[in-house]
Amino acid sequence: MNLSQSIPGQIPLLQLSAVTKSFGSVSALKGVSFDLQPGEIHALIGGNGAGKSTLIKIVAGAHSPDSGSIKIHGHRVTQLTPSAARNLGIACIYQQPSLFPDLTVAENIALRLEKIRLFARVHWTNRRLKAVQLLKLIGADISPDTEVRDLSMPQQQLVEIACALGSKARIILMDEPTASLTHKEQERLFALVRTLRNDGVGIIYISHRLEEIFAIADRVTVLRDGESTGTTPVTETNPSALIKRMVGREVSTLFPPAESQLGPMVLSLRGLGCTAGGVKNITLDLRAGEIVGLTGLVGAGRTELARVLFGITPADTGEISLNGQWVVITSPQDAIALGIAYLPEDRRRQGVILEMPLSHNITLASHQRLFPRNWLRHTTEQTLAEKFIEDLAVKTSGAVALGNSLSGGNQQKVSLARWLATKPKLLILDEPTQGIDIGAKNEIHKIIRRLAKEGLAVLMISSDLPEVLGMSDRIAVLRGGTLAAILPRQCTAHQVMSASLGLKEEGVGA
Amino acid sequence: MKPQQLTRIWPQHETVLLLFIIAEVTYFSLFGRRFCTVDNFTNIVRHSLEIGLLALVMTPIILTAGIDLSVGSTLGLCAVLFGKLWRDAGLDPWLAQICTIGIGGLCGACNALLIAQMKLPPLIVTLATFSLFRGLAEAITQGVDAFTDFPESFLFLGSGQLGQLPIQAWILSAAAIGVWLLVHRTTFGRCFRAIGFSPEGALYAGLPVRRQLALVYVLAGLVAGLASLTYTARFGTAKADAGTGYELFAITAVVLGGTRIFGGVGSVHGTLLGVATLAILNNGLSRLPNLMNIASELSGIVTGVLLLLALTASALPHWLKANQK
Repeated sequence: MNLSQSIPGQIPLLQLSAVTKSFGSVSALKGVSFDLQPGEIHALIGGNGAGKSTLIKIVAGAHSPDSGSIKIHGHRVTQLTPSAARNLGIACIYQQPSLFPDLTVAENIALRLEKIRLFARVHWTNRRLKAVQLLKLIGADISPDTEVRDLSMPQQQLVEIACALGSKARIILMDEPTASLTHKEQERLFALVRTLRNDGVGIIYISHRLEEIFAIADRVTVLRDGESTGTTPVTETNPSALIKRMVGREVSTLFPPAESQLGPMVLSLRGLGCTAGGVKNITLDLRAGEIVGLTGLVGAGRTELARVLFGITPADTGEISLNGQWVVITSPQDAIALGIAYLPEDRRRQGVILEMPLSHNITLASHQRLFPRNWLRHTTEQTLAEKFIEDLAVKTSGAVALGNSLSGGNQQKVSLARWLATKPKLLILDEPTQGIDIGAKNEIHKIIRRLAKEGLAVLMISSDLPEVLGMSDRIAVLRGGTLAAILPRQCTAHQVMSASLGLKEEGVGA
Repeated sequence: MKPQQLTRIWPQHETVLLLFIIAEVTYFSLFGRRFCTVDNFTNIVRHSLEIGLLALVMTPIILTAGIDLSVGSTLGLCAVLFGKLWRDAGLDPWLAQICTIGIGGLCGACNALLIAQMKLPPLIVTLATFSLFRGLAEAITQGVDAFTDFPESFLFLGSGQLGQLPIQAWILSAAAIGVWLLVHRTTFGRCFRAIGFSPEGALYAGLPVRRQLALVYVLAGLVAGLASLTYTARFGTAKADAGTGYELFAITAVVLGGTRIFGGVGSVHGTLLGVATLAILNNGLSRLPNLMNIASELSGIVTGVLLLLALTASALPHWLKANQK
């Protein structure tokens, strides 16, 4: 498996051994080893939250690992900062180019390459010549005097590559470089990447597009839940085998059993789209008592769809029917009045107001229902808050405690209580258990199941495959802002992942 | 002492302020000339109405983490337009008064449109309208015109008495009760705080963020319009410089009263105590026999020190807690 053993005598450009990293109680990397040889394109793949971003941020010096060692050109490096990484010949090309939009191409390149010296004269001519030279090297037809804001996304990416070249980087990290490229631009990028490889540069290539990996990479490493499932030469594997490694073992049976009786139709979407939100042509039905899992890769449009339904970015095409009536939702107030609740993704910024007491947090979305004449009623509020605190078993000193005194799982319960207090018909959950410890996760799963049993229609957005498979009655898979597949309860993780990645396979289809 | 204990015994902001007011009154009664008289207290109330009104409506604005620098200028513009409406347009004084309050509302709506709808930063928007409204007032009067000789019925608003109390006491009490109920007892007040703590959190809770923001700025405009009437009636003249610098006095009173400039935390009674502290300080200093001549300079210094002390005191428990870790 390990190529460094198969090529004796060659020093790897980069070698990570047993690297671990955790954020709070969540461990993002659990002892990952990884190596990059000179003249190699090494693909790194994995599902959402598998640890890819953490790994590249460690290599780029943005995060320091909790344990494990990093060797660059055979030398052990302990204090890797972004500037140290750059001096060691590591360059990163992120999915979103990080250039300064108001500066010209030449200035941007100079910022990356020139050393800062106080009171030194700026050699505008040299600067410009250098930029021209680099751009010519990669065959980019870009004037060095253009302001970056006037460049297209792929052009900005080319400038990033020019910077990487100019800094004489020996290790280049590319995070989904083709995400915004057309086929032709992609071909050109590939040609460029191959040239770099032939010059002995090592490239770590991250992509969700499996076909690209087979087209360009030499070896591939699959991450899953912060662990490496090993490194393989691409010639010795196939897409199906990679997906198997990305999803891992079959789902455990930790989830509460489905026992809902499906009731009447609650939500029907017909060709729903929103240009601003990047969602198009969604057709989906949801019945009372049903849990539909909504999944897909990051950027597939899951949260965007929820925001359309909740009226934050209203739909501009298609139709929404709620309880058999066509409705128009243009604001969150509309959505709440129609019985739609949305538990947002970012608990700490959107889900609860951390500096407010729990009772205020819980009633915040139900002012209209609880206080119809706008006068606050303390006892009503207190009673309701206490009821929910007991119902959902929120661990707290009382309803007057502030939101920031609670743990993540309990904050999430408070956020959920806020939405249950609105007496919704449709509950949209966005990553309901992200970053929550396993005990609270289990409790929240039981609550969701109980709510469905009581007749609520639940649309559950989640990146957590076992959660999606274990909780959902049906699974809707989004890809590129549109519905890629609707899968039945009995489907496998393999099918969900294939649909997310856009791979055609037997048994997949709406 | 452990910080936890300190936090527990650390008194409420409002309590400290109340104690300070008692200390002020005691000191000035002992050393001031004719301070502790009914006449003087009536005087204090008469002089603090406009700043009091502006501070009251500034409170909900700062609770939403906003600011309104234009209230003083709105007052000036409204005063001048009131004079114009009454003297030059020949409007009935009562009708002119209603129109003036409406104009104040329009000024507030102008801020509201830019802040709530266009999502521009309140500090800059109201800095612009601060300049704009004052400029308009000066242009209308060409810097020299002043309106005088208002009818008795109108001047009652400035010098009248109802029962034993000056008219100002009644107006201020009514406004204080109104704003107190709005902030502390209605869902609106709850929304202001939610927006102040976290605008994104408020949006995702389905609160009508834009409407609520518009409300506080329009309210400020309407009340500034009202204040322009009492101001004009008190001085008997309407000039373009009416209420100059009042926005800063109002903000000082609100922050001194314990409202957090970043929004979310604060109370209307705190604001009232802040207004009282400053009004008594200004009046008392001018009655100290040997300091009378430099009273206004001294009052500036004391106000500044007081504000810094108040801010430090309220931040101290958090600071200690943070440094303990």
